[in-house]
Amino acid sequence: MTTAPSPSPLLSARPAGVGQRSARRTLSRLLAMRELQLVLVTVVIFAITTAHASTFISAGNISFLLADAMAVAVIAVGQTIVVLTRGIDLSVAPILGTAALAVGFLAQNHNLTPLEGLPLALAIGAAMGLGNGFMVALAGIPPIIATLGSLAIYSGVQAIVAHSQEVVTLPPAYFNLGNGDAINGIPYLALIGAGVAIAFALILWRTRFGRSIYAVGNNAEAARRAGINVSRVTVSSYVLCGALAGLGGLIFLAHVGSADSTTGTDSNIQLTAIAATLIGGTTLTGGKGGVIGSFLAAIFLEVALAALVEFRLNPIWEPAGVGVMILLAVLADPTTGRPSLRSALRMLLQSQRART
Amino acid sequence: MAEGPARIRRGLRLNSEQWWMTSLAVLLAAELLYFSLGVQGFWGGGTGMLNQTEYFLDIGIMAIGVGFVIFAGDIDLSCGAMASFVGIVMAELWKQGVEIWVAALIAVLIAALIGLIHGLIITLFRLESLLVTLASQFILGSLATAIGGGYPPYGFPHAFTSIAGTGSVGPIPAQIIIFAVIGWFSVLLVHRTAFGRSLVLLGHNRDAARYTGVNVSWTRVRAFVLSGLFAGIAGIVIAATYNSVRDDLGDSLLLPAITAVVLGGVDIFGGRGHMAGVLFATFVLGFLYQGLLIEGISQLTANMVGGGVLVVALALKIGLERRGGGLSFAHRLRARFSPGGVP
Repeated sequence: MTTAPSPSPLLSARPAGVGQRSARRTLSRLLAMRELQLVLVTVVIFAITTAHASTFISAGNISFLLADAMAVAVIAVGQTIVVLTRGIDLSVAPILGTAALAVGFLAQNHNLTPLEGLPLALAIGAAMGLGNGFMVALAGIPPIIATLGSLAIYSGVQAIVAHSQEVVTLPPAYFNLGNGDAINGIPYLALIGAGVAIAFALILWRTRFGRSIYAVGNNAEAARRAGINVSRVTVSSYVLCGALAGLGGLIFLAHVGSADSTTGTDSNIQLTAIAATLIGGTTLTGGKGGVIGSFLAAIFLEVALAALVEFRLNPIWEPAGVGVMILLAVLADPTTGRPSLRSALRMLLQSQRART
Repeated sequence: MAEGPARIRRGLRLNSEQWWMTSLAVLLAAELLYFSLGVQGFWGGGTGMLNQTEYFLDIGIMAIGVGFVIFAGDIDLSCGAMASFVGIVMAELWKQGVEIWVAALIAVLIAALIGLIHGLIITLFRLESLLVTLASQFILGSLATAIGGGYPPYGFPHAFTSIAGTGSVGPIPAQIIIFAVIGWFSVLLVHRTAFGRSLVLLGHNRDAARYTGVNVSWTRVRAFVLSGLFAGIAGIVIAATYNSVRDDLGDSLLLPAITAVVLGGVDIFGGRGHMAGVLFATFVLGFLYQGLLIEGISQLTANMVGGGVLVVALALKIGLERRGGGLSFAHRLRARFSPGGVP
């Protein structure tokens, strides 16, 4: 399994340490885990870039990179839950923007503290996610189309909430939350993000609800026959994704310190979150993957793109970097039984020969 | 037209398509009537209304391209970035001294080539089209920025901007003629050729298509080539209409284009629908956007209405098909999602 180290009966049923062969097998299985791959690659990138520019590993830079990655990381966790049910949510960008705007305006004009803003952001996100869930599970609209529609609708809602104004001045509490360090090099935001990722990893692995998410994504019909309320699980996944996008909005607001009518949608943050989900090892066909991978992939993307900048690569190549990494991440997945480049070429030649 | 039961079945399916087309036509008529009577400057003696089409026919051209891919049960998210990219490539070639029409032709051929690469990657490595075209969207965006730089060329020759962009033959804008030709060609291609029939068949049931002897991979690849080609043509038309290019000029067309395909009655999972519906839906959606914009509503709000129309139309369609029962797409969805089982 490249994906979540879900309670794998194969792994736990094997008697521990029966000779060298099993140790090697365990090692190769560990190396095939997407989470470990991501950590290793991130560390290697860090090492190479530090050799090039020694300030890259400074506590200040690490802290900035972690804080900067967290909005995408938290959204990617939510996106992963939806993708695990074989859905997709294209509408997280305006959900993030709307939550950031609503909290931002109240903070700017009425001194709302971040802690008071948290339930508001979660509620806005959950309500918008509920709309998506209803469209998908009850109206039966395919997820990609339903959330394409809600992307347009929620962007309009965000513009209405913005009312041609923007959030520019926030109470200092937001700046401290968004850019301050808990310990040297570990920002508050990273603690929040890691807490969210670990909490949802536990929910997905250890609770009945979490297992039913995987079941629905694997085979909805089988899940239904096993007594799972597929509609309810599907709606819940969109509600959670929306709520986490709302949390992402609060994080974004605290980190960046401003918001306007196009926050989120202008940078196509939903696509970056989907990219992190895919790089993290979750498959679009559902039922396979996990939130820890997506969380690590968001950090990996941030570090990799920052490293490119250190190597004086023009930042216009950043999107291309994301695109290439999506493809590499999927092609580097050894468990899917996809053809290698060589066998793919052989297939192509054979099919051409068969045609003529 | 076969006799007997086959004919009845065929007749029924056509009826459901015809029903959808009729609803679209009624919607379009109501929309035009409302905007013509209620909004200053929309009717414009008829020609004003026709000239509005210049602002959305590029969406239609892109929608036709995506339509081919959706018929086969795939999706292409790279079309918007492809249109931007093609515009930039054409403009840069033109700046290097290449004749503008030759530059446009080369740029469109490059788009078709990129479409071919998409198709080959997707079929050879058995990757999801959503994933590959998402990645490609990022890559094309970077390429467009890198080639075009901060100040891409503008101010193309008049012959080019008028023929592909804002010119007109009598009262009929040149773009409508281009769109009509392309639309006619694509309707024939999907519904009157072997390629089109196998495209729809493999969207309906890939295994059945394979057992029938359709070369599934190659047909999918060809759909992606067409998608790239049409996105490229859309990019040229945008460049000519605005007489300039930008590295993100086409990006905003992707979502309306997919909306037009789905609103046109094409099943997003492939295999069902009619290309003429896509052409129709382009006008429904385009006049809706234009009417709202002229009425003084912001672009974001107009998009919001467009999204609402998409969702409501689909919910209605699926709801009606559910009532009809049978082995329809809605039936499958219901089997997938309903808690109490299929009635």
